[in-house]
Amino acid sequence: MAVETLHLAPPGPLLAFWRSFRENRGAVIGLAIVCGVVFIAIFANFLAPYDPLEQFRDATKLPPIWVEGGDWKYILGTDPLGRDMLSRILYGSRISLFIGSSVMLVTAIFGIFLGLIAAFKGGIIDVVVIRIMDLIMAIPSLVLAILIIAVIGPNLTNTIVAITIVYLPRFVRLVRASAMSELSKDYVTAARVAGVGQWRLMFSTVLPNCMAPLIVQAALGISDAILEAAGLGFLGLGAQPPTPEWGSMLADSRDLITSNPWVMALPGIAILITVLSINLMGDGLRDALDPRLRRS
Amino acid sequence: MIKFLLKRAALTLPTFVALMFVTFTMIRLVPGDPIEVRRGERGISPERLAELRHDMGLDQPIWKQFFDYVWALLHGDFGTSIVSKTPITTEFFTLFPATLELGLCAMLFAVLIGVPAGVIAAAKRGSFYDQSMMGIALVGYSMPIFWWGLILILFMSNTLHLTPVSGRVDLIKFFYKPITGFALIDSVLSGQKGAFLDVLRHLILPTIVLGTVPLGVVARMTRSSMLEVLEEDYVRTAKAKGLTKFRVIGYHALRNALIPVVTVIGLQIGSLLAGTVLTETIFSWPGVGHWLVQSIGRRDYPALQGGIMLIASMVIVVNFLIDMLYGLINPRIRHGR
Repeated sequence: MAVETLHLAPPGPLLAFWRSFRENRGAVIGLAIVCGVVFIAIFANFLAPYDPLEQFRDATKLPPIWVEGGDWKYILGTDPLGRDMLSRILYGSRISLFIGSSVMLVTAIFGIFLGLIAAFKGGIIDVVVIRIMDLIMAIPSLVLAILIIAVIGPNLTNTIVAITIVYLPRFVRLVRASAMSELSKDYVTAARVAGVGQWRLMFSTVLPNCMAPLIVQAALGISDAILEAAGLGFLGLGAQPPTPEWGSMLADSRDLITSNPWVMALPGIAILITVLSINLMGDGLRDALDPRLRRS
Repeated sequence: MIKFLLKRAALTLPTFVALMFVTFTMIRLVPGDPIEVRRGERGISPERLAELRHDMGLDQPIWKQFFDYVWALLHGDFGTSIVSKTPITTEFFTLFPATLELGLCAMLFAVLIGVPAGVIAAAKRGSFYDQSMMGIALVGYSMPIFWWGLILILFMSNTLHLTPVSGRVDLIKFFYKPITGFALIDSVLSGQKGAFLDVLRHLILPTIVLGTVPLGVVARMTRSSMLEVLEEDYVRTAKAKGLTKFRVIGYHALRNALIPVVTVIGLQIGSLLAGTVLTETIFSWPGVGHWLVQSIGRRDYPALQGGIMLIASMVIVVNFLIDMLYGLINPRIRHGR
């Protein structure tokens, strides 16, 4: 009888990650919803029944279909200007995700660069970078964002700029701390001895080993950025009307709280679902990627 | 210890200088200079314009203006509001007690509910209670509080008529002179019947709204820190001694589990101040956050500048004090760095 030898290769890093991630049911649900929201954001122009800015003057303030007086032509009802709420909510996902992901992208690029420079160069550069980050962190996030918006003016691009500046310190500090702990390790010394250049050492030797906490921070940062942007929109300092941004939609509907509560409720539900699902996913990412930070 | 204290204090100094520089630059970057804003639509004679510029020191070289600004700040002069013509410090400290009162109530709400919820969740790890509690905590943590506030107003005030919609007290029924600035204390001091209860009713919704996110954070943090502590040897020893579960968790474990929780509460001060901006706007709460937002609307940049300078200074000082406290409690921090 021939003995069959089994070659059990260790699972690849992606597969190992997925197996670990899969254990957390909430995280998987979160991921599914996030995928759904991304899908909606990409295909909003096909999914939305109407243009988000089109005004149906003969159908203003309609309630959603499950409330008496609803019209199947406008499933989630219409706002006081007769704009279809469903279309506005669907298009709103585009803006929120756009803000969230661009903030994270820009923050990650600058954060990684500044954090690595601070960790590698040390000395005065390190001190200056960290002091500036401390200064930014000393001002409450929304207050600082308001200050920046007051200077550069309220619109969508400036919202992204303001929130990026607000969230930069978290990333810089995280990159710096992770890089510093890697710097003392043997493989870095070995690479140095082998004559690896400074930049290569930074970006191709050390950085990949710092990625786990950065990915987690980036995921959670997206949800924070979405919340912050919606908050600015609510204060009238974010995207300006008639842009279908969830926060500014909420601000517009404040006076309708008694007459048309749905116009106010729906954008908030959209924000909550999006942020919650990203946070669920982020918790799962943290557990799977970074066992040290494991919460449960 | 004194060396550690001085070193830490020295480290916050550059932050202060940079902060002054930022707030100073900001007001010069804002579109339209302060005089333009004041001039209004009718215009102003060139002589008067020059006079106003001179009064505000805007005809001086820029470095001199900066040193004048720093000099004024060091003497407690944070500028004068364009709109009300009163010193920023007067405006700020009249409104600040309202913000502080709301912030303290919100933190109290978060801790009183969050800590027990987290402890029970950790004690019953993996149970239905644990899972649903952590689910709720995550919802709280993800909550867009401006929406949450409106939803609560819709149900509690408009539908059930349980709580008032805005303000700190019913000004038609009650009137008292602010003595401490804290409505809860002032209403008692005023001796008016029902004033205290009315103030309390006004506080309920803003407290819940502002406390929701910290509640989520505190509950999650308590649970994870408790889980860690429950694995420790001394907890096993306590259990082996035959102590009741309640005593092990409530006495031996909780005391140590609370250390990181206290840290988190300290770190929440900044985000709590950010949250007050939204909460105060929703409930027309006469505090610092609402005032800042209004200052933008009125283009009252000196108020914005002074207000942010004051808020940031407070956060820096509070963080410094927390640092000191840790140094006192934990010698490892004191000597480690």
